[in-house]
Amino acid sequence: MTSTWFSPATRTELIESLVSGVDRYNPSNVGILEDYLYHQIRSQEYDCLANLAILKLYQFNPDLYNPDVVINILIKALAAAPAPDFNLCISLLDERPPNANMEEPDPLPSLLPILQGLHHLLYRCRFPAFWRAYRSDDLEALRDNYTIECAGFEDSIREVVIRAVKSTFTRISTDRLGLYLDLNTPEELNAYIEKLGWTLDSSGTVVNVPSNPDNQIEATVVQENIKLPQLTKVISQAAKA
Amino acid sequence: MSQQRMALWAADEDIDEDIQDVSLAIGNYGQNGHFDDAHIQPPQIDEQTLIAMQQHLVQQAAFAAIPDVVKGFIVHFHQAVLDNNLAEITVAYESGWNKYTEKFYSRTEWPEAEIIAPLVNDDPIFLILYRELYYRHVYSRLQPNIDDRFHSYENSCELFNYLLNSEGPVQLELPEQWLWDIIDEFIYQFQAFCTWRSKVKSKTEDELLMLADSAGVWSSYSVLNVLYSLIQKSKINECIVAQQEGKSPEEIAEIVGEYGVKPLYRMLGYFSIVGLLRVHVLLGDFTLALKVMDNVELNQKSPFTRVTACHVATYYYVGFCYIMLRRYPDAIRTFVTILNFIHRMRQYHTRSYQYDQISKTADRMYALYAICHALSPSRLDDNITNMVKDRYGDELARMQRGGEDALPAFEELFMYACPKFINANSPPYDDPAAISQILNSSPTASPTQRTTELPSTATHNDPAHRHLRLFLSDVTAQSPVPTLRSFLKLYTSLGAKKLANFLDADEEEIVQEMMVMKQASRSVSRIGSEKSSLLDGQTITTSDLNFVIDDNMVHIAESTIGRRYAGWFIKNTERTQKILDDLRHTPLPAPRKTAAAASTSVPATEAPKTTGRKVAWGGVKA
Repeated sequence: MTSTWFSPATRTELIESLVSGVDRYNPSNVGILEDYLYHQIRSQEYDCLANLAILKLYQFNPDLYNPDVVINILIKALAAAPAPDFNLCISLLDERPPNANMEEPDPLPSLLPILQGLHHLLYRCRFPAFWRAYRSDDLEALRDNYTIECAGFEDSIREVVIRAVKSTFTRISTDRLGLYLDLNTPEELNAYIEKLGWTLDSSGTVVNVPSNPDNQIEATVVQENIKLPQLTKVISQAAKA
Repeated sequence: MSQQRMALWAADEDIDEDIQDVSLAIGNYGQNGHFDDAHIQPPQIDEQTLIAMQQHLVQQAAFAAIPDVVKGFIVHFHQAVLDNNLAEITVAYESGWNKYTEKFYSRTEWPEAEIIAPLVNDDPIFLILYRELYYRHVYSRLQPNIDDRFHSYENSCELFNYLLNSEGPVQLELPEQWLWDIIDEFIYQFQAFCTWRSKVKSKTEDELLMLADSAGVWSSYSVLNVLYSLIQKSKINECIVAQQEGKSPEEIAEIVGEYGVKPLYRMLGYFSIVGLLRVHVLLGDFTLALKVMDNVELNQKSPFTRVTACHVATYYYVGFCYIMLRRYPDAIRTFVTILNFIHRMRQYHTRSYQYDQISKTADRMYALYAICHALSPSRLDDNITNMVKDRYGDELARMQRGGEDALPAFEELFMYACPKFINANSPPYDDPAAISQILNSSPTASPTQRTTELPSTATHNDPAHRHLRLFLSDVTAQSPVPTLRSFLKLYTSLGAKKLANFLDADEEEIVQEMMVMKQASRSVSRIGSEKSSLLDGQTITTSDLNFVIDDNMVHIAESTIGRRYAGWFIKNTERTQKILDDLRHTPLPAPRKTAAAASTSVPATEAPKTTGRKVAWGGVKA
């Protein structure tokens, strides 16, 4: 899992050299990385380390700061929950000195608590609460300006839900699943389930979750494994005597 | 009228002449002044030379105030450095310097470099090294003022300039301990400066002015530049890779070039990697920190273990990165390794001047271990767990119970144990308006990054508190887990509704909490893959309690660990065997005058006891 997070297949050579080398500190490269971010937004890809590189450049060169880019990075990181990506991004956002150099007011301070709240809901698996908050009027600004640009944002959140559901459930009721996925009509829900390849059981109200390493449980007793090399000293001394 | 006109006319010329005269006058004045200096102001010349003489006297006095042993030490030290006599340098550096510090300079500074310069024939390289030690002393025992900070930066720049930008590698040889200390101190001074710099309100007017002019001093870019340059010059990464591939020394020498073959550069490059790890952690970039350590193997055979302080620091920072990445099992393993090492090595290091620092780091790691243990309990190392319980038993109990009072315990231990984070940028000293705005604003006026559920910590905005808040938000998410665990342990299958009734909560809430619990029991870990980079890993289960939800029914399975007795038995068998062997090989005691007394100790024999006794007596008598 981590090898794709570390080095996604969709990353190009150029980005790879930027992320892994010393050029990542060169402020003039920020444009390349920002373009890569927009590419990720449009084509539903995700490259955590490249986005962290952008944030690091902003950390060292506050005049490069572009709040839209930061918000987009955070939105992308939301969809990676429960991985720590969102927190890693926040770690790199230093305290910004109050400066009046910007032409428009900085949207980040007002949106940041909202994004953090959303992330918190996702991390605590409060999915119905997440969808309620997301669809509420307060977040209209977020929805209209940012998440709408991000292709497949809602689907990637649904993937977060599915990850959590897959590991915890062997069977889950359709109502509950619909609530978590925010797919309220049966047609939408069934279409989604089919896309996942999951099956409905006979009564049509419960979905079977396919088995995976996480939702198969068995009580095991961890036995001790004594290996021969550990005993060589004892055996050889016994043989000598 | 005409007369007047003429007068005016004439006056103009006069003015012109006057002007010329003035310039002449000025020139004259200058000359006169100079001239006058010769005559009128012999006191002034005297005063200037007097001042110079006074300074000279002060220097002489300071020079005379230096105890003779210290002078001798400096000369000896200098000679050793000139001769590249590594053994002598090591002795002088490790014990000599500290001895004289304790004896003469425990509360004051060492003499300034200018004062001792005559002793070393003004050798610039030695003076740079001397200043490095001088400032290190100031930072550790005394309070550096703004001048000290600026000068120490300049000195460090000179040192690195000399090492990196001379034509070809320098011929200097220094002990590895010193090389590590150079890098360590450099980063420490950087961190101290950033912390000091960010406290805008406590600066005097002069300091504000000086800071306004000094954009480049201790900037993050320059520090990173130094570290990266050392790494690149010594080609240490290529060197490590080549060594891992088992290339021959000649091939390695070719790969690393003329700089990399010299031990000075190689070790500096190596320590710079650890230095980068540290700087990235201080700036809050944990993935990059682990990434720079890509080629360094974290085991006992790596070169960084040769300097204990470096060894301990590496493990501390790596472990901390894992904590911030939520990889608690990896963090636990890291801490356990190094804490065991420190415990065993403690007796050899009590007299080393680094002992205090290592002890302090060890204490912080115990606290971090306690945190990880509470968040991801495992039965990995009872030894360390016992030691932690001794120190932090109360906090550990609170953290493990979860719930409301766990949070302050986490906060306390985290703030004690975390590295001293810094801001990458300075407050805008060069912008007077912004500075006055900061000075006049109240602490809570700046935009805070608040999550809805955290209490008092939300008002602080220094970097440590920012990271603390991130960490605490993770912890709050996991706080219901211990309670749930205790319930689930009692059943093999349980309805979700019943569980909700037990906990007085809504069923849907409980189901969601169960998902969190499941999530908490899985972490990414490097357990299976020892050789790979520090960021790799696979998802593993860390809890012994496993469950799934089947629609509304929870099925639980617990895995237990069978008793482990093999290790204990083998160890004790070997120990007994060793005792027996030692007994057998002890030399026979000297023959006693009173031969017949059977009460004296019987020497051990090769053969079984009863017959052996007679043989032994026989041997002795013969």
